[in-house]
Amino acid sequence: MNEQALITDAQGGNLDAFNTLVLHYQDSVFNTALRILGDEDQAADAAQEAFISAFKSIKSFRGGSFKGWLMRTVTNACYDELRRQKRRPTTPLEPDTDDGEEMDSPRWLADPGMTPDQKAEADEVEHALQHCLNNLPLEFKTVVVMADIQGLDYTEVSVAIRVPLGTIKSRLARARLRLRECLQGFEELLPASYRLEEGINA
Amino acid sequence: MNQRDLELLSAYLDGQLNPSDVTRLEARFQSDPQLVSVLNDLRGTRNLLRKLPARRAPRNFTLTRKMVGQNPPLPRAYPIFRLATALATLLFVFSFGLNSFSRFAASQAPAFGMGGGGGGAEDSVAAPYAAEIPATEAPAATEAPSVALAPPASTLFPTQEAANAAQTAESPTLKTGEAPNELNQSQPLTEQQVPANASSPLIPSVWQIGLAIVAVIGLLLMLVSRGLAMNRWR
Repeated sequence: MNEQALITDAQGGNLDAFNTLVLHYQDSVFNTALRILGDEDQAADAAQEAFISAFKSIKSFRGGSFKGWLMRTVTNACYDELRRQKRRPTTPLEPDTDDGEEMDSPRWLADPGMTPDQKAEADEVEHALQHCLNNLPLEFKTVVVMADIQGLDYTEVSVAIRVPLGTIKSRLARARLRLRECLQGFEELLPASYRLEEGINA
Repeated sequence: MNQRDLELLSAYLDGQLNPSDVTRLEARFQSDPQLVSVLNDLRGTRNLLRKLPARRAPRNFTLTRKMVGQNPPLPRAYPIFRLATALATLLFVFSFGLNSFSRFAASQAPAFGMGGGGGGAEDSVAAPYAAEIPATEAPAATEAPSVALAPPASTLFPTQEAANAAQTAESPTLKTGEAPNELNQSQPLTEQQVPANASSPLIPSVWQIGLAIVAVIGLLLMLVSRGLAMNRWR
């Protein structure tokens, strides 16, 4: 796939060229939206909105990382979705404690009807991580999803969300630390291969 | 562990530190086991995030032309068809309005005229005075209402000219004593003119039919050319 040629064609209004790019990046875009929003249906809607918005504004793309540019578009679509949710709040999945605070422990994930063997390893990790991601502030979540899940480098993340490089470094470090603290509550549920115990030279 | 050290460790993990910072940090690892512990935690977290299974998109997000509001290139003649249709429709509606208004105006006009001519009581009161008037003047006074109506009606509806002319032609022959009776007889005549006037429209029906045909043909041409353009585009 000649990405640059497709981008140039798409900038000229060629929808087929743009759709080729969509097919190439749709999984990344959907996963980014899914990790930020934590809901599959909302993520699909945000991804669709992001591609529509991307096509309409593709003339503003001036080179650089197209994936980073798409990530910015999907992040904006997710922010819009979250703003909509704020206007129309829904009941969270997590149960509240007696004090009215959101329960931040693995207990709520433990389904008494299922044994640990029935849970697929990937599902356990995903549930735990998604729960911890959902508890992160939005600006931390966006950075960690782009850098650690989508594999963008610091510069690409900085360009994508229009935040200085130093802020990206700071947010990423703090996000990782918070995730670490949250995941410690899930450690017993995580399979051995996913435990947080790798050495300095790992 | 302060914020600065945390950022250094995170950047070190990602290979984002310059060589001098790397050397300094690695020297601290030898003397500060907490730094190593935190680095391991960060690395473990990052590895876990990287192992997060990537979901496949639940459907294709490819765009349709409708989604992005793209329209097919229309033929050059399309704006002409559109303009012709719009103008013909506008004129068609206007002609209906004008004809209706002229009918309404014609039906209202005799009512105003009769206000001056009066009913039977007025006629009977006016009769003695009319009798004193010379015969040559009487018709002008008594026939005034109906004659006053005639000019606008005759200009609007030429078909009434003959009737009006006949009516005015009769009036000089009226005699003084006959004035009241002739007045009473002249009123029904004036009222009879109204339906006749209303039946002839200001804009001929042929024109209206022509306008309707132009509007319909223009609309059909618009639809056909648009449909053909859409098919070619797909």
